[in-house]
Amino acid sequence: MSGHHDHSHGHHDHGHDLPFWRKYIFSVDHKMIGCQYTVTALLFLFFGFTLMMIMRWQLAYPGQAIPFIGQYLSKDIAADGVLVGDGYNAFGAMHGTIMVFLAIVPLAVGGFGNYVLPLQVGAPDMAFPKLNMMSYWVYFCGGVTMLTSFFIKGGAAASGWTSYPPLSVFASSGQTVWLLGMVLLITSSLLGSVNFIVTTVQMRAKGLSFFRLPFFVWAQLVTSFLLLLAFPPLEAAGVLQLMDRLAGTSFFMPSGLVFSSEPQTHMSGGGSPLLWQHLFWFLAHPEVYVLILPAMGIVSEVIATNTRKPLWGYKSLVYSVIFLGFMSFIVWAHHMFMTGMGTTLSTFFQATTMVISVPSVIVLTCLILSLYGASIRYNTPMLFALAFLPMFAIGGLTGLPLGLTASDIHLHDTYYVIGHFHYVVAPGTIFAMFAGIYYWFPKVTGRKMSEFLGKLHFWPSFVFINVVFMPMFFQGMAGLLRRQYDQTEQLHGSIAHGLTKMSSYGAWLLALAQLPFIINFFYSMFKGRKVDANPWESTTLEWAAPSPPPHGNFDKTPVVYCGPYEYSVPGKSKDYCPQHVAMEA
Amino acid sequence: MNLLLASTHYGAWTPPLYSQHGGSIDKLIDVVHVFMFVIFIPWAIFFVYCLMNFRARPGHKATYTPIKAKVSKYAEVGVAIFEAFLLLGMSMPVWADYKNNPPAPDQRLEMRVVAEQFQWNFHYSGPDGKFGATRSSLISASNPIGLAEDDPASKDDIVRVNECHLPVDKPIYLRLTSKDVIHSFDIPTMRVKQDVIPGMEIPIWFTIDKNATTDSIRPQMKTVVPMDKAEWYKVRHLVAAVDHKVKDEVVLAKGADLGADLTKGKELLEQLRKKGLTELTLEPRNPLEIVCAQLCGNSHFKMKAQVMTHTAEDFAKWLTESSKKPEMQTDF
Amino acid sequence: MSTTVIPHDLEPHPLTGMYNGKFGIWLFLASEIMLFGALFSTYVLLRVGAPPGQWPAHGSEILNVPLATLNTAVLISSSVTMVMSWAALKMKKFGSAQVWLTITFLCAGAFLVVKYFEYTDKFHHYQVWLNDPMPVGGHEVTTIKGHLTADSPKLECSEKTGAFNIPEYVIITPDGDHGSSGHGEAVRVEGSKIKRISNFGPRHSPYLATYFTMTGLHGLHIVGGMVVILYFMLVGGAIWKRSPEKYTNRIECTGLYWHFVDLVWIFLFPVLYLL
Repeated sequence: MSGHHDHSHGHHDHGHDLPFWRKYIFSVDHKMIGCQYTVTALLFLFFGFTLMMIMRWQLAYPGQAIPFIGQYLSKDIAADGVLVGDGYNAFGAMHGTIMVFLAIVPLAVGGFGNYVLPLQVGAPDMAFPKLNMMSYWVYFCGGVTMLTSFFIKGGAAASGWTSYPPLSVFASSGQTVWLLGMVLLITSSLLGSVNFIVTTVQMRAKGLSFFRLPFFVWAQLVTSFLLLLAFPPLEAAGVLQLMDRLAGTSFFMPSGLVFSSEPQTHMSGGGSPLLWQHLFWFLAHPEVYVLILPAMGIVSEVIATNTRKPLWGYKSLVYSVIFLGFMSFIVWAHHMFMTGMGTTLSTFFQATTMVISVPSVIVLTCLILSLYGASIRYNTPMLFALAFLPMFAIGGLTGLPLGLTASDIHLHDTYYVIGHFHYVVAPGTIFAMFAGIYYWFPKVTGRKMSEFLGKLHFWPSFVFINVVFMPMFFQGMAGLLRRQYDQTEQLHGSIAHGLTKMSSYGAWLLALAQLPFIINFFYSMFKGRKVDANPWESTTLEWAAPSPPPHGNFDKTPVVYCGPYEYSVPGKSKDYCPQHVAMEA
Repeated sequence: MNLLLASTHYGAWTPPLYSQHGGSIDKLIDVVHVFMFVIFIPWAIFFVYCLMNFRARPGHKATYTPIKAKVSKYAEVGVAIFEAFLLLGMSMPVWADYKNNPPAPDQRLEMRVVAEQFQWNFHYSGPDGKFGATRSSLISASNPIGLAEDDPASKDDIVRVNECHLPVDKPIYLRLTSKDVIHSFDIPTMRVKQDVIPGMEIPIWFTIDKNATTDSIRPQMKTVVPMDKAEWYKVRHLVAAVDHKVKDEVVLAKGADLGADLTKGKELLEQLRKKGLTELTLEPRNPLEIVCAQLCGNSHFKMKAQVMTHTAEDFAKWLTESSKKPEMQTDF
Repeated sequence: MSTTVIPHDLEPHPLTGMYNGKFGIWLFLASEIMLFGALFSTYVLLRVGAPPGQWPAHGSEILNVPLATLNTAVLISSSVTMVMSWAALKMKKFGSAQVWLTITFLCAGAFLVVKYFEYTDKFHHYQVWLNDPMPVGGHEVTTIKGHLTADSPKLECSEKTGAFNIPEYVIITPDGDHGSSGHGEAVRVEGSKIKRISNFGPRHSPYLATYFTMTGLHGLHIVGGMVVILYFMLVGGAIWKRSPEKYTNRIECTGLYWHFVDLVWIFLFPVLYLL
């Protein structure tokens, strides 16, 4: 536990003569670890999406056998190929958990952060390389733990990704595995965030002051602080729930429970179900910003490069994300308006919720004003980054009626909520992740991804992702509730069923639209067009290193002479001035 | 949109409204959405303008100096002010009213709602206005709330499972409790939603519109569905509003439903189609439902109760009749 | 063969005044504060929200204050010896540093041994809740606390809930007025009269649940610290030979962690035992 400092050897002997397992598996090189994170997270992303595609079948055709794969699912999940209620709930809970904790955060922070951040600050590696390796392997174990829960008796955790007790305490043993997996994932995030913060603060290249840091680094820095401070309360909550499940305590179990007509007299009672919700959302609201801030960072990098002009309002961007970080700790109870909250508390949390929308508006404004007077290059990363803007705007705006208690009465726990946060994380964050992959691929491999396949990936994805999520707002308006195994069981759900089917078809077509990406990814890795170190003619430090960067990253320790986005500076021969090149007077 | 949202009076926006407080909630929802469009559309126009006007092309160069954009500052301040208005002017008063002003005890119908996996139990005090004592040790399948028979106050109490009778135009005061896990009491058509948390008793109150008796709502929701759009999933809770005839033969009598499950429903629809029926005139069997809005286990989706709304006289009649022989009705 | 030199691995960064490891350990401790902060909040919320009588008026009614006081002294001493070890290294006295480190390790071990006795005591102490009041020692009581006698049947755990099944009967020696054991005569209680039976383990009450969870997690932190200290006791010489500065830094970081673990105990002791 106190072992952090153990790993900071002054010298790391890395050479090309390292054995395979040291170079590719137990590597301490931040770039290899970044790639490991990226690949693992992409696999989980695909898996989480697959779960959802199966659920969307049940939603579109309730009670009908799932084609192709239904027969292969275990009895706890599907009977005669028809998904059962517990199976649906397990898939739902695991879809949420996998997407948030095993796919997007590891991709955004573990993958991009690990690979890009040390390069952008001009460091030879992370501050604690061995700790970095450990973060990945702890994450990996957490992921494997989560997956094994599908195979144990009673199936995986089925109480939602929020795991509200008492339901989760009464649940089958999949929930215990879920909690153990979460403890591992949280530990991994903690180790990672310590590493990120120390690297950013202590290992910036000479001349790289805080206000010369690329915005991506700022976003990662704030994200790391959120992970560092918000995750431990969830870890505490996880320990308490484990105690409730395994040691028979009653932290979350009130007195006088009657379960299946049996009074639970063996319990002491005296606990509070709402305590869990407070501890959970104290993490999970900052978690929302953990999902979105790195995405904003990536989008800013891509937009700056491809508009060929400095980001508009760089300092307001920085102050906004810092403010977002602070505020995200005091809005959590807006997820709990329906728990019987009085007027005083709800007023406070409504007010903070409205306040937190302001910096998000500023970030969006800065990014869109950066387009004005630009010279926009429409390559694939830029298309994904640009699509992020309106999608994130829709996601953000639809948060408003949910953040106001009165309108939340009707919309709480409906599909409106699902639509809202998926617009933020799916066409928002995941599009930003794609932008990042297309953008930094040449740095990692020395080859560019195919533009044709990239556009073939972008346009259908953009269309279908809206087909998936746009109907949800209307369904939510009609009162359709989330987490319904068979939506047509209720009158209003039955009436909105046409939109449900539309969403489902959208999801399956969206999956097809990912094929060009998968082909592109592997094809370009081996056969893509070879490019030089700085194919996008970008300014930040990662492009000063060779592609792919060797161990230790830079041939010569870089020195920084200017801000991160010096594009189209008047009177220069080229339209970009890299940070590591001294500007001629 | 109407085709997709199927085909009843439900419409493409919020569902029909039958409670007195719901109007202010709907108004807030409408105002917020208008506000969203007011922000988003100019924003999107500017976005598209930039994308087209500032595309890279031979001879076009980016400008280094940022534009001086006073407009954006005004827009940001405007957004902040409007949000403050939404909060202070619209949301908080509604919420305060919703939470702080319970109807006076002598004017309201007070009842207990006990939630459990996966049913709603409704406990009426009966004509004496006193709730009988309940004990958890007495709970069984036939006595879901553990009502103590030995308590004189429980003699005329009424307990109903998944069936809730309510008077219109009279404040209703519900005391919500749960036996096992967290549920959420939701009547979409009344704009009422409240988590039901074990270990806590949470009161909520609302008043149903004067004209909103079940019998008068049902015909209002009458709708005509063309036979080729009549998918079973969409019509499973609807019943025939009139006698459907083909060549003077009644093929679907008034009040008949469209099949209890998918197989039967599909067969029935197929038969009707074969017989040459071109459209169905339908109305909901139970237009008002109480549903559970918080995941509560594998049959969460089935946890619903029907609401029967009555005029004051009819309700009083129901109350006296039902309290005469306190039956524990468990089937539904 | 290329080499990677991590900047500020040893020398402090001008901005923070710390080398990487020290900065890292401070960040780690910040997250630890959030972890224990959440647990302390849980304690406060549950205790404040509890109906009267559910929690003991003072922890000392149930817990052994003298033993805990001894443990507090032991842990504070171990913090002092930890500092001594680091100070010795600063003065380049490797030998005496290792001696101080060993004493720290032994203190930690002593703490755990005392804790072990405290825990076992709780698991052999029982409470029986009765369906209806019955007379014991001249009073009508609804619950009896005490120790089960040797001829009382062995309790069995339910497979489903993990709690004790209600036995056919128990024979229990009730506690004296202030928790002193062995007072009064053993009473036989028939199973039909028992509503619930539990030892003073975590499932007994929210208070003991909090006690076991918080001290248990603290104990795990002690064990973690001991593993690290043991590691430096064993391989310290090799690191010292390679780079005395690095070894000194590592002991400093270990010390920071160790002081934190002590600090947590200094909060736990009054909160759980005295209040």
